[in-house]
Amino acid sequence: MTYETHSEKETHELAARFAATLRGGELIELVGDLGSGKTTFVRGVAEALGCKVKVKSPTFTVMNEYPVDNDKIKKIVHADFYRFEDPAHLEALALGDYSDDDTVIFVEWPDIFGEGILTPTHTINFEFVDEITRKIEL
Amino acid sequence: MKVIGIETSCDETAIAIVSGHKNQLKVEKSVVLSQIQTHRQYGGVVPEVAARKHIEAIFPMLEKEIAKDGSGIDVIAVTAGPGLAPALRTGVETAKTLAWLWGKPLVPVCHLEGHIYASWLPRSKRILPFLPITTPKFPALCLIVSGGHSELIIMKGHGQFERIGETLDDAAGEAFDKVAKMLGLKYPGGPEIARLAIRGDKTKFDFPRGLLDRQNFDFSFSGLKTSVLYTLRKMNLVSDQERANVAASFQEAVVDVLVRKTMRAAKEYKPKSIILAGGVAANIQLRKRLQKKGREARIKVFVPPFTYSLDNAAMIAAAGYFRAQDEKNFVEPVSLSADPNLDLI
Repeated sequence: MTYETHSEKETHELAARFAATLRGGELIELVGDLGSGKTTFVRGVAEALGCKVKVKSPTFTVMNEYPVDNDKIKKIVHADFYRFEDPAHLEALALGDYSDDDTVIFVEWPDIFGEGILTPTHTINFEFVDEITRKIEL
Repeated sequence: MKVIGIETSCDETAIAIVSGHKNQLKVEKSVVLSQIQTHRQYGGVVPEVAARKHIEAIFPMLEKEIAKDGSGIDVIAVTAGPGLAPALRTGVETAKTLAWLWGKPLVPVCHLEGHIYASWLPRSKRILPFLPITTPKFPALCLIVSGGHSELIIMKGHGQFERIGETLDDAAGEAFDKVAKMLGLKYPGGPEIARLAIRGDKTKFDFPRGLLDRQNFDFSFSGLKTSVLYTLRKMNLVSDQERANVAASFQEAVVDVLVRKTMRAAKEYKPKSIILAGGVAANIQLRKRLQKKGREARIKVFVPPFTYSLDNAAMIAAAGYFRAQDEKNFVEPVSLSADPNLDLI
């Protein structure tokens, strides 16, 4: 389903609805260009799941971990492959090690080297339409 | 007191030895892995990868610089966080092992604190090296700007910090890197944009200054990033001059917001010094503007040398040196863990 949002608040609301469907153990790919709303979406999910820590861009750290206060989910891992230059590095990051029943993993720029690197449970596509509008396909 | 500093929070592996007497510090040695010719292939992204290689590299680096039994070293300081967990662990576990083996005290340091203490390090080429180094006076208003951080912090004294503002989304350095990519420039984006901006007209585009109208001291660069993206998309064929104009206008928007918010904070908190820290401190426009405004407000502005603005271990050793003045800051090696969410206290 494709949704159109016209503000950060609307993206957060959509993310909160999506968060309600999560059970833990999901690996979610976020595919979209710069500024298309990926991190904003994760922020919305984190807030909906009771996260008290600020969700910021993971581009430089490569991977952020946020503790979360929810029945089924205790942690969000927020990764960003944007800065990767070498596919071998992805293997070394060992993202799989973070996978757990009470953890949800979000990955921005999973397609940096092309498709099929990860085996996600969900892929969400983001499109920057104009300065206030985004198209999000869940 | 001689302090060994170890830093592995993000892309770099660094070690340094700093000696201190009262508030005067001397850098005996400062080595950053990616800057070593032979290890260039291991530098760059993904500390996890680098972590494996860095473990191999860190011990030769230590062997060259320090006696096997740690004689001459008084304290071991290590970045315990924030940063990428597997990367942090390399440094933390190394530091713990050394502290335990040598029987020397161990001090965990917050990476942000390191950036602030870079201003206590002497400049390598000092005109009058026999005179004491001028160090920041408290309270100090610190603007930390790098690829991963954009924060305003008040330092009331050694180890006494209060965060008064931070970015809500992207860091300033990150905005530079991403806009550089949009403009087809090489990495690292910051210096490339600054270079291109010289030929550009900064008044051609009025990019948004995130949160400037709000009374708080937080930053937001995500909107600026998308505004530049949208502007470039609307332009069909972008000439070289137009690219330079975009770079200049973008740089101006970042510098404007950083300096104005910092000076607004200075007006409210009345600091005795202003510290500019982090990799983006290398930006000449930012430095010049902040130093000018500081002069007008009669507040001395401290900018560490570039080598100490980028991630390095000398700044960690410096922070460790001051932390070590209070033994309550020592930790049992066995109890120290890397903390990716570590914050300034």
